[in-house]
Amino acid sequence: MKINLEILNSAFICDKIEIAELNTKTLVPKMMTRRRLTRAAKIAIYLSNEVNSNNERIIYGSSFGELKSSATILNNINNEETISPTVFQNSVYNTAVSYLSMLTSNKNEILTISSGDNTSLNVLKTAAIKALDGDEILVMVTETLNIEKIEELNNCIDYLECGVALKVKVTTKDANLSFSNIQNPNNYPKSILHMLHIAMNQDKNIIEINI
Amino acid sequence: MKIKNKVYITTTSSITCAGNNNEELFKNICENNTGIKKNTDYFHVNEPSIGKINSEKSFYENLLIQCNNILNNSNIDSFKDTLLIIGSSVGGMSNTENSFFTTNDYKSVDVTQHNIHSVSLFLNNHFNFYDDISFSTACTSSANAIGYAQEVLSKGIYKNALVLGIDSLCKTTVGGFISLGVLSDECCQPFDKNRKGMNVSEAIACLLLQTEKTDSCIEVCGVGYSSDAYHMTQPHPDGSKNAMMNALKASNLDHTQIDYINAHGTGTLANDTSEANAIFSVFPNNPYVSSTKSITGHTLGAAGALEAIISCMVIKKQLIPSNSFLNEVENEDINLSLENINQEVNYVLSNSFAFGGNNCSLVFGSAK
Repeated sequence: MKINLEILNSAFICDKIEIAELNTKTLVPKMMTRRRLTRAAKIAIYLSNEVNSNNERIIYGSSFGELKSSATILNNINNEETISPTVFQNSVYNTAVSYLSMLTSNKNEILTISSGDNTSLNVLKTAAIKALDGDEILVMVTETLNIEKIEELNNCIDYLECGVALKVKVTTKDANLSFSNIQNPNNYPKSILHMLHIAMNQDKNIIEINI
Repeated sequence: MKIKNKVYITTTSSITCAGNNNEELFKNICENNTGIKKNTDYFHVNEPSIGKINSEKSFYENLLIQCNNILNNSNIDSFKDTLLIIGSSVGGMSNTENSFFTTNDYKSVDVTQHNIHSVSLFLNNHFNFYDDISFSTACTSSANAIGYAQEVLSKGIYKNALVLGIDSLCKTTVGGFISLGVLSDECCQPFDKNRKGMNVSEAIACLLLQTEKTDSCIEVCGVGYSSDAYHMTQPHPDGSKNAMMNALKASNLDHTQIDYINAHGTGTLANDTSEANAIFSVFPNNPYVSSTKSITGHTLGAAGALEAIISCMVIKKQLIPSNSFLNEVENEDINLSLENINQEVNYVLSNSFAFGGNNCSLVFGSAK
């Protein structure tokens, strides 16, 4: 089955180490809330604002989830230290979009996908299937790999913090963008590539999703 | 797009702390034989009571057995036309822990065995699935996986879907719930005045969903989603209420048609109070309600799939299980079953709620 998606808005942000400015103070005025946010949550909130999200259904993806929270817990256990409840609650894969939903009072259906290198492709497939219902869907993917000693794990990804957001809807118009020639010379995480490819080609706005 | 196809659960298989197959599990639920035991494998302090699978085989060997059970007991002889849909909260975290705690560094950690997708990678080495996708929304992971399976099959996009709810115990989850102060040192007592908290647990629960009706299959009538947009760990009553109402609407059913509710019922004050209030507001007619977590524990990302299997068995056996170990009912507004009840059961609603205020309610019915 083939479903064509029209890209209504797109945004992406990446950095080799840590994204410097995510406008979090403005977007999240309450300090107590802001302090609890993970890096992925801050990226999700930033991108949601960039694509003018308006409480659509959200399909979010991350291959590695909240790696920093997981690493903190592992080290706490290894050092026989107390685990912080906030760090534990922030370790689930749906943390970033949960904070986004709280901030925007979005009570809609919100799903989180983690499909390894195919994460952003599966986010798009899921969004395409759901968008057959006729609504606009917000799709987002983030990776936040900037943890201490990441070099022990990572030898192929140059950009440790990345996020892409697209607002999409189903269209009957012909596709002008495909996944046939995706390149990754800059070594972005493969899990974001399909959505990054769309966001980087802003002059083209219709992608064919093969399911 | 209008729904085209009806969707049926045709074959199921499970392994839990309360039984190595569905029949054992349901028998233990009905006979109040809990799989929850005190355990110091993960943490010596607090002596939490948790639910560990009782098997000489490894967790991944048991995973293969469950998938082979599906093939052996269904009308398909391979998974080549089947979408694999994983629902898991922690994926391969126990693999990472085994490596990290041995060497005290990440060098020996295999990232492909760490994340949620590691389960799909493992299964694709043994079976040839048409495609795969993994959902991770904490404790609603496999409920959402069933919801997705129902949607893609009803829209005619795939022919079969194998939903796999899976989570193994690890130090991260046991320690994490200890840190939240919600683990009980005894078997949990959902909806009881004297509850002491929840029990974390592990399970593998497999369901084959198909559009073709088979003997003794159960229909997935509808799915309801909602987000609380409220708090990371504290539930909002309106959130679960919305999920249940959305599920009824998707099922084209009236609230009076639900005969039994398999509650999320973790045994924490926050969940039970909020869920009981939400159930009462949606179901003033008082259908029977029970939580089966006092027997299985809370199997986290596997809970939605496991409790879907239990819901199917309630309909097949026309037997509503009691709330095991419920002594003093806290909320008299809901109709908690105090004994096993034989009665006509046409429709069951099963609740799953998760961190981040992610809610999913599923409605199952006898296939007509």
